[in-house]
Order: sequence, then C-alpha cells, then structure tokens
Amino acid sequence: MNTEELIEVQERWNIPYRHSAGRFASRFLIALRDEKKVYGVRCPRCKRVLVPPRPFCERCFVQCTEWVGVSDKGTLEGFTISYQAYVGLPTPPYASGLIKLDGADTALMHFVGGVDLSDPQKAKKAVKIGMRVEAVWKEERLGHILDIEHFRPVQK
Amino acid sequence: MPRRVALVGVGLTKTANRRKDITYPELTFEAVNNALSFTHLKPEDIDAVVYGSMDPFDGLSCPEKWNVDSCASAGVLNKPLMKISTGGTTGGSTALAGYYNVASGLFDVVLAVASQRVGETIDAQQVLNTCLEPCYERPFGFGAIMIAAMQATSHMHYYGTTEEDLARVAVQNHEHALNNPHAHLRFKLTIEEALKTRMISWPLKLADCCPSSDGACALIFASEEKAEKITSTPAWIKGAGQITDGYYLGDRTWYHEWDTLATLARRVYKSAKIYNPFKEIDVAEVYTAFSIQQILEYEALGFCEKGEGGKLLASGATSMNGSLPVCPSGSVICTNPIGASGLIRVGEAALQVMGKAEGRQVPNVKLALAHAWGATIGFHTLMILSKEKP
Amino acid sequence: MAISRQAFAQKEEECPESKKLRCPIFTPCDGEAKAMSKRVAIVGIGQTKHEGSKPRQIYDEVVFEATKRALEDVGLDRGDIDTVVVSGWDVNDGRTISDMYVAPASGGYFKDSSKTAEEGIFALAYAYLRIASGLFDTALVTGHGHAESPFELISNKVFDPFFVRPLGISSITTLALQANAYVNKYGITEEQAARVVVKNRGNGVNNPYAHLRREVSQRGALNSKVVSLPLRALDCPPQSVGAVALVLASEDVIKKIAVSKNIAWVTGIGWATHTYHMDAADLTHVSALEKAAEVAYKMAGVRDPIKEIDVAEVHDITSYHELMAYEALGIAKPGQGGKVIDSGATDIGGELPVNPSGGVLCTNLHSGSGLLRAAEAALQVMGRAEKRQVPGVKRALAHGISAPAGAIAASHAVIVLEKE
Repeated sequence: MNTEELIEVQERWNIPYRHSAGRFASRFLIALRDEKKVYGVRCPRCKRVLVPPRPFCERCFVQCTEWVGVSDKGTLEGFTISYQAYVGLPTPPYASGLIKLDGADTALMHFVGGVDLSDPQKAKKAVKIGMRVEAVWKEERLGHILDIEHFRPVQK
Repeated sequence: MPRRVALVGVGLTKTANRRKDITYPELTFEAVNNALSFTHLKPEDIDAVVYGSMDPFDGLSCPEKWNVDSCASAGVLNKPLMKISTGGTTGGSTALAGYYNVASGLFDVVLAVASQRVGETIDAQQVLNTCLEPCYERPFGFGAIMIAAMQATSHMHYYGTTEEDLARVAVQNHEHALNNPHAHLRFKLTIEEALKTRMISWPLKLADCCPSSDGACALIFASEEKAEKITSTPAWIKGAGQITDGYYLGDRTWYHEWDTLATLARRVYKSAKIYNPFKEIDVAEVYTAFSIQQILEYEALGFCEKGEGGKLLASGATSMNGSLPVCPSGSVICTNPIGASGLIRVGEAALQVMGKAEGRQVPNVKLALAHAWGATIGFHTLMILSKEKP
Repeated sequence: MAISRQAFAQKEEECPESKKLRCPIFTPCDGEAKAMSKRVAIVGIGQTKHEGSKPRQIYDEVVFEATKRALEDVGLDRGDIDTVVVSGWDVNDGRTISDMYVAPASGGYFKDSSKTAEEGIFALAYAYLRIASGLFDTALVTGHGHAESPFELISNKVFDPFFVRPLGISSITTLALQANAYVNKYGITEEQAARVVVKNRGNGVNNPYAHLRREVSQRGALNSKVVSLPLRALDCPPQSVGAVALVLASEDVIKKIAVSKNIAWVTGIGWATHTYHMDAADLTHVSALEKAAEVAYKMAGVRDPIKEIDVAEVHDITSYHELMAYEALGIAKPGQGGKVIDSGATDIGGELPVNPSGGVLCTNLHSGSGLLRAAEAALQVMGRAEKRQVPGVKRALAHGISAPAGAIAASHAVIVLEKE
C-alpha cells in the first residue's frame, strides 16, 4: 500500500441566501431605479446625513427617520486599483473607492470608471484622492447598487 | 480587585500554505500538544477551553466541532468550551477570552486555541468579500487587500509615504522571519526585489501582502497560584482590551490614520500605567498583514508621530538591534493562518517575556505588546505582557 | 530619531463619542489579589416579536430593536454599557464576521466588544465572566435568529468533508439519531413526545412575543409528517426571525441603578461540550448537559432540582430532547422523562413548570433560542412574565444548546437565576 499518496477532496459550496433589504435599503435602491437619485437619512441626534441610508445611527443609537436627497456628484475620499484576479470577484483592473456625495457626511462605496487603468503608473496619476466625480447611470435600472455603473471624473 | 493571571504555555505549529500531511484536527492537536508539553500539563489539568477560528475560511462552518477533541479532549471529558470569532482579531479575542476565563475566578487553568486552514480555500478574498453588506457594498470587489491598499493610497497622499517605505516593511519582516522556524515565508528579500513583484492592488505589490497559511496556536493561561507552580517564567497580563468600530467603510474616510487602534492603545496604556510606550515597551508583536499597516501601527501605538512611521522604520529603531524591535517573528506578512494569527502574536510576545524565543529573542524583555486587527480594519485587540508581577 | 511627546494621546475631540463612554479601565492588582468573583445579575430584558420573516427590517435592525428595548427596560443609555458580547453563526447569517453589523447594533460602537460564535446563551456566559472578573460593571448581550439561509445545508458543512459530510448528515439527522436511540433504550412513546408538543404550543398562546401561537392537539401532533424517524414535523421547531437582548450588571452598579423588581441574580452557571464522534458516547445520555447542570447546581447550592427550582426554560430543540433534558437536569430519573411529562409535573400548575413561554417549539431563533430561555427565566424571577407567569417564582433555570451540528459536539449551558 502506497502510504505516501495524499488525497485532496474537492468541494464547492453553493449556498443560496435571500437577504431582506428592509425598508431603508429598499427605498434607496428603488430611488436609484425610478428617480436616478441618491438618498440618505439624517440622524436626529448628531445630524449627520448617512449614505447609504440605514435604520439607526451606530454612534448615537437612535432610529433614523428623516430622508434627505443628496447629489450624484461628490469627492473621492479613498481608493485602490486592483490588478489581481480573484475567484468570484470582478475582472481586473478595476478601481473601487469611497465617494462622499455633496450633501452627505459619509461616503458611498463604488467603482471609479472612465479612466484608463491598464498601467498602474499612469492610472495613479489619473485617479487621485480629493478629485471630483459624478455618477454614470445605467439605462436599464433594476433597483440595485449597480444601477449606477460607476463614478467618473467630473468633465470640465 | 481582579485576579492576577499569567500566560504559562505556548504551543506553535509548523506553518505552510498547505499542510497536506495532516487533517484539521491533527493541526489543532499539534498546537495543543506543544502547549501541554511546554507546561508538562495533562489534558485533565485543563479546566476550560476557548477556541477561535474565523468561519468559513477552512471550508467548514463551526470548525470547533470537528476539532473539539483536539482541544485537550474537551469533548470526551465534557469540558466547558467557548468558541470566539471576531474576524482577523479572532486570535486576539481568543486570548482575551482565555484571560477573562481565569480572571473571573471560575477557572484556574485555561487553554486558548486558534487554528485555521486558509490554504484550503482556493481564494480567501472571495470569503472576505462576504463580510460586506450585500445590498450596498458587496459588488465592488473588496477584500482585505483592497482595504489595506486604500490605507496605503491615503497615507501616500497625505504624508508622502513611498513605495520604497512599504517595501522596507516587507524586507525587515522577511529578515526577521528567517530566525523563526514557525514562519511560513522564509526567504531573504531586498528592496529592489520587493519593488519588482507584481502589482496586486495599487500600491500594494505581492511582497506587500501576507500569504494564505495553514497553522494553529495554543496558549495556556493560569491563575497566580497555579502559574507559579507550573513555571518559573510566567508572562503576566498587565493590560488588555479590544475595540469595535462601526460597520460602514464609508463612515470613516480617514484611512491614513488608525484612530480606532490609537483609542484602544490610549485605554490600555492608561490601565497598564504606560506613559511613554516607545521607551517602556521592549518588544512589540503587531499584526502586519500588509506592509502599510506596520507604518500605521507605529503611529497609532504612539511609537512615533503621525505620518512618521516610514521614517521610524528607516531609522532602524524597530529592527532586531533597534531600541524597540517590532515583530521579531516576521509578523503576519510572513505567516497568516487568519484566525490564529492574533493568538500567535500573543504567544510570540509571551515567549519574548519568558526569554524562550530562541533565535528571535530580544535581550532583556520586561514588557511586551501584542496586537491584532480585524474586520474591515475596525476591530483591534491589545494585550500587554510583563515579566514582573503586576 | 527624535520621538517627541506621545503621538497616541490624541485629543478627545477627535472622537466625540468616546467622551460619553466609560472606558473599561483595567486595574492591575496591588497587594493581595485573592479576588472573589463579583456577583452578577440580569437587570434589563428586551425582545422583538418573533416571526417567520421580517422583510421590513434589514439584518441588524432586528438586533437594534431588542437592544434598545433592553436599555429602556433598565433606564440606561448606550454610554452606560462597559462591554458588549454578541453571538451567532456567520455562515447561517450569510455574513462573514457578522459582529461587524451585530456589535454596533448591540450598542458596541467604539466599545470593548466580542463575539461568541455560539448560541447566545454563551454570550451571556462570556459577559458573566467579564463582569465576575471585576474588570467590567455592565454588559449588553444579544442573540438573534434569521431565516435567510438553508439551515440544514449549512449544518452539513459543520461536518468533516471526508467521513460524514458526504453522507448528507445534518442537524436534524443527528437529533433524530439521538431521539431514536433514546426511544429504543427506554421505550419512550410517540404519544409522550406529542404531549410535549401539545404542552409547549399551548403555553405559546400566552406569550405575545412567540412565533407560533396556535395550540395543537395530541392527534394533530401525532398525524404530522415524519421528517426524520422518529421526529415528526411538529416535534421540530420552526425557523424564526427575531432578537433578544439582556443587560447584565455587577452588584456595585445594581446598588445605583436597578429597582428591586428588575433583578435576576445569576447564582449558578455551567457549560460543557460533547465529543464529535457519535460512536464515542452514549447517545441517550446527554453527559454535557448533566455536567453543565452539576456545575451550576453546585454553585447555586441546588440539591433537589424538582423541589428547589420553581420554573425551567429548557432548549427543546425537539420534543424528545425536552424529555432527555428532564433526565440530564435531574428533573426525572434516567429513562423516566416520559413518565414525568405524563404526570403533568411540567405543565403550568405542575410541580416544576417547563417552558411556560412555549419554548423553542414555538420560537426558534437559530443562535438566539438559548439566550431567549435565559430572558424568559429572568422575567419569571422578576415576576414580569405577564400571562405566562408562574406564581411565586424565587428560583428559575435556563438551558441553552449551541448545536449547529445538532447532537454532535453540542455544547450545553445551564444558568440558575434567583430573586435574592
């Protein structure tokens, strides 16, 4: 008996989930679809406008109820550009970042597009913290965060 | 007044991308067995167990179940066992749970075990992506690497940190790992080589990133009375704590500083009566999964001013011959069995205090710090270990 | 390299929230360190209405709602809490590092918080340890249940990929294996199991928070579909969405904050786990529960549980398991679980009512059911259980099981709560 042979059992998990978006994420996603508009909620205690909207403010620990529309233009607060392919994740290169929309106090995570990302040395000059970006809306919108295709640098 | 608690035993394993030679329970057994031999204790001497892992990096849900009897026969002996899981800080949280188990007065000798087989998952980033909110943040391809890359782009933007500074972190840790037989990546790396590795997530290159490792760690905590019977070199717990930041990545856009860690450090230093950490701490084992993080850790832990982490490293102050050696083990950037990595940091700090760190020993360690970060960089744990009884 | 003043000493203004917080201060011992464990009590309770689904609420809002109620129950603010311990199984929740959401929803933002990846009663145990150490005074503990994933499929992933997983074993099959072994050894009848169902579902009618609030008849229980022999559909719990939160406090703090009717002292606590190998243990003998009870009884000074405990909330993961729990908890002698249910001793009005809340057969929060048992037992001790109140409760017992793999390697916890 060959005791040196080591067996590897291959497996792939396929677990279906259904995540309730609840009232807040639902309203946000529906507004993306039907109004091409981004909404946040205002915390009644600290008054911050929280985007994406959520049922409660983690800091103040109070329920949020007031809806506030914010701009679809904003400032890139942080980013990275990925060049490595990962199983099940987007095809590289892709830039993802945090965009603080005008009128919001927190940033929304999204893709940064409309920039040639193929060469990191060139891309890092094209994508910069502090730059102004605007939403590029999809024609066909499904009530999904990707109803905004990406944010691109504001055309001057 | 809380009980005095000491770390009396450390059990490490061989680490590698794949430990194809053994099954998961055998890996856990290896760590536990090493900790038991370290202390000359038997499974019956263990009053309670805390087990840490981050699900489902091993292709298992709740691996504590399959591993239960590797934890000093906890299942067959019907021992109290508690599973802890807090992302990357799991190991640090498991150490804290071990500590509180003894400090509570309910138990005298407690085994803390953490194990992980990251190598069994084909791509850990896909698992990490599932920690993000499915309605808002999941589609953007974020895993731990991208968040660390965002820390790096911000630090470069605000403080002028360079790709060379990042490479220097990798180089120093690889140099340290050469002294550590339990490290996974053990090869000499130069700055030029590090800079030439392929781009993963701008500005992090392959050399800036941790590997996926299979590995485990087991520690034994004991009450004062028991500790002094078990060993002549206990590592006393002088301070400990953890902190949890809010969920949303976009709620904290100041990625160039780690204010969560700074806040925790302030709390723990205050309780441990540490006033000048750079002078008072003799060695620090911080959780550097990505090169940029060690720079941020220096700054948040008060080893230097904000924005000066790169300079501190370049000065040699944190090398083996410096005044505050950081990560003689080579840190997480050389070995990352995720859920166990935080516990390994505590174990390495304890070995330094005990004077048993062999080839990676820093001379005359009286006070050591162990750190871990987790989640989307919002969780931290700290533990301060001391040679002198607190 | 010049290191100037401490860079870590940031101005408090940079984190305005932390001002309100009472940082847990680690106090190193000086002098004699022969510390006694601090006394700990449950002082605040909050739970949501438990339902089959909650499409109007996103994941963490359910936990927020229960937490908010627990804080209001004791008149405290998030800022008064020293430490937060949450619970749950990430794969079930479909969120890796689920405490990223659940800890802030439990009031944990910028606090010293941790997670037991167990049934919520273990979060209570961990919070107990933290307060007993004297290092923390107040704690918030939460447990939750969601029905967003296939529980049995995920349960199958708890098993090793070589020997057991390929056989399609999951929680329900192991519980059925155990129940069948119990039936075969002691001649427990289907009618006796059905009687547990009738009792608990009947009790659930009195509980406004319960998920299933419809009585079932003995015939209805016996005619329900066989799921996994000997378990029928009504012998098994539903999958419920909801959350429960408890505020724990040390004796020192209680003197300052709590009113007397809102205290349930933890006088006994114990937990223990089973082996992974099904063949290595007698399936009919729940040794881990026996061990957990032994430890908790010893601590609380309980010698004769039937006489000395006034009400029990046990984790009836199936109706058969309630009978097995009677035996392990010393309410029945070995093999006599069926006789005890037949005698009516565990009915409301019996010598030791079990599950006046309706138990897990009416409300099953995966990873929150055990903590809910503790909450219900505490309500009984406080005399606040309303229509489901057992009169004159001085001492109550709560039992929870951390059982993502069903009977295999299950961990049991027992908590004794008292008025004085």
